[in-house]
Amino acid sequence: MAGSGNLHLREQEKPLLRVEDLVVNFLSAGGETVQAVSGFSIDVLEGETLGLVGESGCGKSTTARAIIQSPKPTAGSIQLDGVELTELDDEEMRRTRPILQMIFQDPISSLNPRRTIRDVVAEPLYVWWEEETGRLAIASWFEKTGNLFQKISSKFSRPARILAPLAWLSLIFWLVSEASDERSLETWLSWLKTPAQFIGFPVLFILAAMAAALSVVGAVWLVLAVILPFGVISGKFGSVTNTVGLTGLFTSLFAVVFLFFRTWSSLGGVAHWLSSGILLLAVGFLAVWSLLACREPSRAGSSALAVLVFMLFAIQVFYIVGLDGNTKLAVFSLSAAVDGILYWLIARRYKLARAQMRQRAEPEVKRVLEAVGMEVEGSLERKPHEFSGGQAQRISIARALILNPKVVICDEPVSALDVSVQAQILNLLEDMKAAYGLTLVFIAHDLAVVKNISDRVAVMYLGKICEVGPPELLYSAPQHPYTRLLIDAIPRPDPEFDQRNAVRIEGELPSPLAPPSGCRFRTRCPNVQAKCSTEEPQMKEVASGHYVACHYPADSELNQ
Amino acid sequence: MKVAEDALLEVDNLRTQFDTPGGLLTAVDGVSFSLSKGKSLGVVGESGSGKSVMSRSIMRLLPKVNIQTEGTVRFKSRNLMELAPRDLRKLWGPEMAMIFQDPLGSLNPVVKVGKQVAEGLRVHSGFSKKEARSEALKLLREVGISEPERRLDEYPHQFSGGMRQRIVIAIALACQPDLLIADEPTTALDVTVQAQILDLIEEQRNQRNMSLILVTHDLGVVAGRTDEIMVMYAGRIVERAPTKVLFANMKMPYTEALLESIPKLERPSHSHLLSIPGQPPNMIDAPRGCKFAPRCKYVQDRCVEEEPELISAATPGHLYRCFFPVGSAESADALARNMANGKVDESGSRVHIRT
Repeated sequence: MAGSGNLHLREQEKPLLRVEDLVVNFLSAGGETVQAVSGFSIDVLEGETLGLVGESGCGKSTTARAIIQSPKPTAGSIQLDGVELTELDDEEMRRTRPILQMIFQDPISSLNPRRTIRDVVAEPLYVWWEEETGRLAIASWFEKTGNLFQKISSKFSRPARILAPLAWLSLIFWLVSEASDERSLETWLSWLKTPAQFIGFPVLFILAAMAAALSVVGAVWLVLAVILPFGVISGKFGSVTNTVGLTGLFTSLFAVVFLFFRTWSSLGGVAHWLSSGILLLAVGFLAVWSLLACREPSRAGSSALAVLVFMLFAIQVFYIVGLDGNTKLAVFSLSAAVDGILYWLIARRYKLARAQMRQRAEPEVKRVLEAVGMEVEGSLERKPHEFSGGQAQRISIARALILNPKVVICDEPVSALDVSVQAQILNLLEDMKAAYGLTLVFIAHDLAVVKNISDRVAVMYLGKICEVGPPELLYSAPQHPYTRLLIDAIPRPDPEFDQRNAVRIEGELPSPLAPPSGCRFRTRCPNVQAKCSTEEPQMKEVASGHYVACHYPADSELNQ
Repeated sequence: MKVAEDALLEVDNLRTQFDTPGGLLTAVDGVSFSLSKGKSLGVVGESGSGKSVMSRSIMRLLPKVNIQTEGTVRFKSRNLMELAPRDLRKLWGPEMAMIFQDPLGSLNPVVKVGKQVAEGLRVHSGFSKKEARSEALKLLREVGISEPERRLDEYPHQFSGGMRQRIVIAIALACQPDLLIADEPTTALDVTVQAQILDLIEEQRNQRNMSLILVTHDLGVVAGRTDEIMVMYAGRIVERAPTKVLFANMKMPYTEALLESIPKLERPSHSHLLSIPGQPPNMIDAPRGCKFAPRCKYVQDRCVEEEPELISAATPGHLYRCFFPVGSAESADALARNMANGKVDESGSRVHIRT
């Protein structure tokens, strides 16, 4: 086996999911190519369950991940409902994912341990509602003063995100040159000050010009580009409330420290060095932070609020720096108080938005939890670790169902469970499939489990398909020697069945860095012949709907 | 309990309790059994049935803090419960050894496997460094690791899951123990590798005339491989019988339910599996009667009121704990009554009552 060919694809029918010649290669640490999946083709009709079987390392999980485009496959075509997934960009793929959900092997670690079950299950909904709800919250916040910021925030795009760190960099230089006291710092800052003037101001100017060229609101953009990271960060950390709070805390700390050292610096010497150093560090920290944050896509809603908060912060800092001792203290106290009130209002606004989302999601969450057989009332406010493995797997299934998917990919969903719980979950998947009209791709290493749930089974070995067929035929008349070995490995709950005489597969999977020539299974195959190492077997039909990629399948008539 | 003449291990009324914030949790409750030299015993039960705690209690591997262990564990006529830690350490390795579920977790990631295999030999058998290395080489070859000369000097992360478990087995076997306790040795592995590892344990047991306790949640794993099977539920033995007797004539509804929940190759696709609804009971505040009653399809009022004793069946060596044993007229009546009053649905599954 481990052969090629697409004979088993059902051309005459219209499959819901169609994978053709899928290739997934990884680069190993040594720079070699790991051939995880090499020419995998399969199709799944609507309402069908495809079972995918093979040992660890055969590429079955990689295939599953390639189907959901995470990561994107090296080559090949994946069509879901006629849409070519490999050609979608990130945003389009994100919008496709609700209909293509996944369930993972380890139920506990696939659930966020710090969230309640209510939020874990509703999270997909929150993601889809966040843009909308976030925008709504901001709209109502700004309604009284006009919705200028909302308009601006919706214009944020990739150029703005690229400009932000550059703007920050120039800001550092500018701040340093402004903050340095010429008398005491002249000596050590002279090397910095010149480049600061030479680089800082031109960079600012160029950025402003670039921004102006890029958009009608160009002039505002530059300021926003500096400020944007805070909006991005709020998206990155998930909880907007925390981020707003953090910004407030950081602002106050920064202002206090700066003020303290500026006052102290009138003493000159070391203190002045320290004050400038800390300023430099603080601004540098912000710059790195924003740089990191810029790698994440912005969530438009939360940006606008952060823009306002940070503009205030920036204005305050620049203003306070320019004042003399006593006025400085008064202005600082006043602005800190204003900041505090503002942050509190914003935080409250977001808490309300979250509470609204929770409330809106509640009927949906209850619906899916009930569907998967969980006791709803007692579990909503509990956290994942309070549940057993079987219950946690039910919760994972509920989460996958909440967006009404068409296709659910189950990657070894029962391998970590006890047999008694395994039976519960298998029954549940069957029930869910019937109730929600799902199409399943079910991955496992145990053929008995796969047989029980599947309409069609594909056996994989080292990144290729060995045998495809309806489960009954595959089990009653396995054609590929590898399928035979997999069947023999299943533990039989029957003491009369002599497990000691069963044929065992020898050794380990060959390295996918250098897969064997010809048939990939030949190194472990009990029936290996000379032809197997030179020629790769092609898919051929041995019975209706039953295909095998082997030169010498079990059915002797086909031996040529 | 009658003690066999050649018993290697005798466990009598073993009880292990954990002092938890919620109260005293009884993980193992009055377990008694004996194991003869060269025999194998399969211990089967779900997660939380107390099988792992029992094997650790026998090995005396549990810490003393917040854990109380009562009863006696006699190994070669010595009561392990009375041994001092230094005497126990002399026992671990040359006399009794254990294999755990997660092979990566039981190997030291920063020590070469050759050294880990040789460690026991150096400590217990007084081998020199060179002798221990050549013995380790022999052991690795015996457990089926190819190119052992090269692989001796590799670290655990360079091995696959199955190969790691082989190394753990080599370490366990190094000092020729008389008793090997394997606690879910294959649960983390693929079926193909599982079969290889079980074959390996089997083969080594026969070669060395070693006794084996194989702990698992899958009746299929122990079916063709052990002399006797002990089914545990809620920290108790609920059924114990020679393997063939158990499969031919199981008495305990829990054993039957465990067997029925395994997907069978012979059955057609999409056949409904008879799962066991609900979960094992909370062992801090366990229900009064039979501990399996809330999940049992034969349950009657008597089961909820009164806990059945472990009684002998007609076949010698077959013990079970049930008022309505599977296959009896009483159980058929009980099932019919439950179907009539809606406790059991038409497919024969207990209707899960959420509490």
